[in-house]
Amino acid sequence: MNPVRQKFEVCKAVAFVTYKEWSAYRSHSLVSVFVGPVYFIVQYFIWSAVYGGVGTFGGMELEQTIRYFGVSALIGYLTMDFADWNLQMLVRTGKFLTFALRPVHHRFFALSQKLGHRILGFIFEFLPCFLIFLFVFRIDIIPAHIGWTLLSTALAFLMNFYVNYCIGMTAFYFVQAQGIRTVYQLLASVFSGVLIPISFFPGAVQWVMMFLPFQYTNYVTAMVWTGAESIGELGLSIPQAVLFQGIAVIATALLSEVIYRASIKRFTAVGA
Amino acid sequence: MRYIKIYLTCVRVAFSQAAAYRTDFILGNIITLLSNILFPLVTVVIYANGAEFPEWSMWEVLLIQSVFSMSTGMSAMLTQGILWTTMDHIREGSFEVVLLKPLSPLFYLTAVNFSTGSLGLFTGGLVLTIVSASNTGADAGGIPVFLLLFISGTAVLCGLDLVMAAITFKWVGNSRIPEIFDSIAEFGKYPLGIFPKPLRIFAAFVIPVAVVGFFPASALLGRLEWYMLVAVIPCALFLAFGIWLYDRMIKRYEGVGG
Repeated sequence: MNPVRQKFEVCKAVAFVTYKEWSAYRSHSLVSVFVGPVYFIVQYFIWSAVYGGVGTFGGMELEQTIRYFGVSALIGYLTMDFADWNLQMLVRTGKFLTFALRPVHHRFFALSQKLGHRILGFIFEFLPCFLIFLFVFRIDIIPAHIGWTLLSTALAFLMNFYVNYCIGMTAFYFVQAQGIRTVYQLLASVFSGVLIPISFFPGAVQWVMMFLPFQYTNYVTAMVWTGAESIGELGLSIPQAVLFQGIAVIATALLSEVIYRASIKRFTAVGA
Repeated sequence: MRYIKIYLTCVRVAFSQAAAYRTDFILGNIITLLSNILFPLVTVVIYANGAEFPEWSMWEVLLIQSVFSMSTGMSAMLTQGILWTTMDHIREGSFEVVLLKPLSPLFYLTAVNFSTGSLGLFTGGLVLTIVSASNTGADAGGIPVFLLLFISGTAVLCGLDLVMAAITFKWVGNSRIPEIFDSIAEFGKYPLGIFPKPLRIFAAFVIPVAVVGFFPASALLGRLEWYMLVAVIPCALFLAFGIWLYDRMIKRYEGVGG
């Protein structure tokens, strides 16, 4: 069979099984239908109060900021990932052995799983919240440039996965790598732009963020989605920002392969 | 007296366990401290950009948020573990182990789940509270009322932990339940005046999360209003509701796992 076709078939099968498996817990996904809008309401009133005294803030007007937080929540549903937790668990318990023996690279398997899991997220989290934001809160949540938005979201999806997979691989070096995972999540929550748009930070911080993975998992995509004319400290246009994001994804994917080749030699398959 | 002895023994055991895994304990608390530093970052960024919450200085808002952290740390030490332990037992169908103990199940779970891991959160919140208060000219005369409201706010969070734990008897194995209540608690992290009246009433009297951070900070800042003291009543009721609900849900335990 054609190798590309074979990969596609494997990906489809794993994604479908993961979708079926997690469908049993679809009510867990529906939690987002409550949580997403509540967080959004809080953000709405915070920023409405803050903008009361100023016209623009960090180069963004109130309406754009509100849209940003709505879009940011939606992107989270499409790109959510726990490859780090999963890989750490597999390595710690020794169960990774069953994957090391399969004729499929574990990273590809995990990516296929994520695809199935997020299709479920699309149906039970993204769509309901999208409709709530659009028709209940009446936010202009429709992407300004659908093509660029789809591409940027796909890149954010991959970026989140590759970064988390790299974090997960620390389990090959430490018995319990939960601390590293927590630190990363902490930094990501701030510097991915979920809590606050990166453009609100000082210029020097924004400049540094260009070379770190965080903003490519959320901020850049949210700005592309809202149709921002100038993104980040460099004032990038949408095509330029997506190009930067693409380069970051390729670099992270290569890095994950380098780390994987170094890490796999340390795997003892005995659990801990 | 017997219950106090048992509880103190469990607390001592928790500290002994932490001492056995010192590195994990220290690292865990450092990470929690770091998260404390990052949590008020949004407020700092807002004020650094020349904007503000109307009628509130940066240090006053930070005071609200640091009191909130302190209260969260306290409730996490006291009751947060009940949620996860209950959830695990119910999923595995092993809650009988708890029911067979010659103690009230809720008391037993409260005692054995005392968490030293949240000490960092409490300490970080305390330090930030002291720093913020010293930058706002807070009134020392407000400390007794502050303590009353702080205890009330902690009672609300403990009540929330119990309500969440009670829900897991029916909504088996859903680790996302805390997200629901965390989202509601967000209303307690900011000056209540920025929200419309229905939400203010909700946050002050229905699920009184405003008592967790905003009301105690207001007491320290000399901004206390009469209704803030009234809110102590729904706090006590909320904790009582959590205890009642948990006890009631125990009776619905089926012992089959899920």
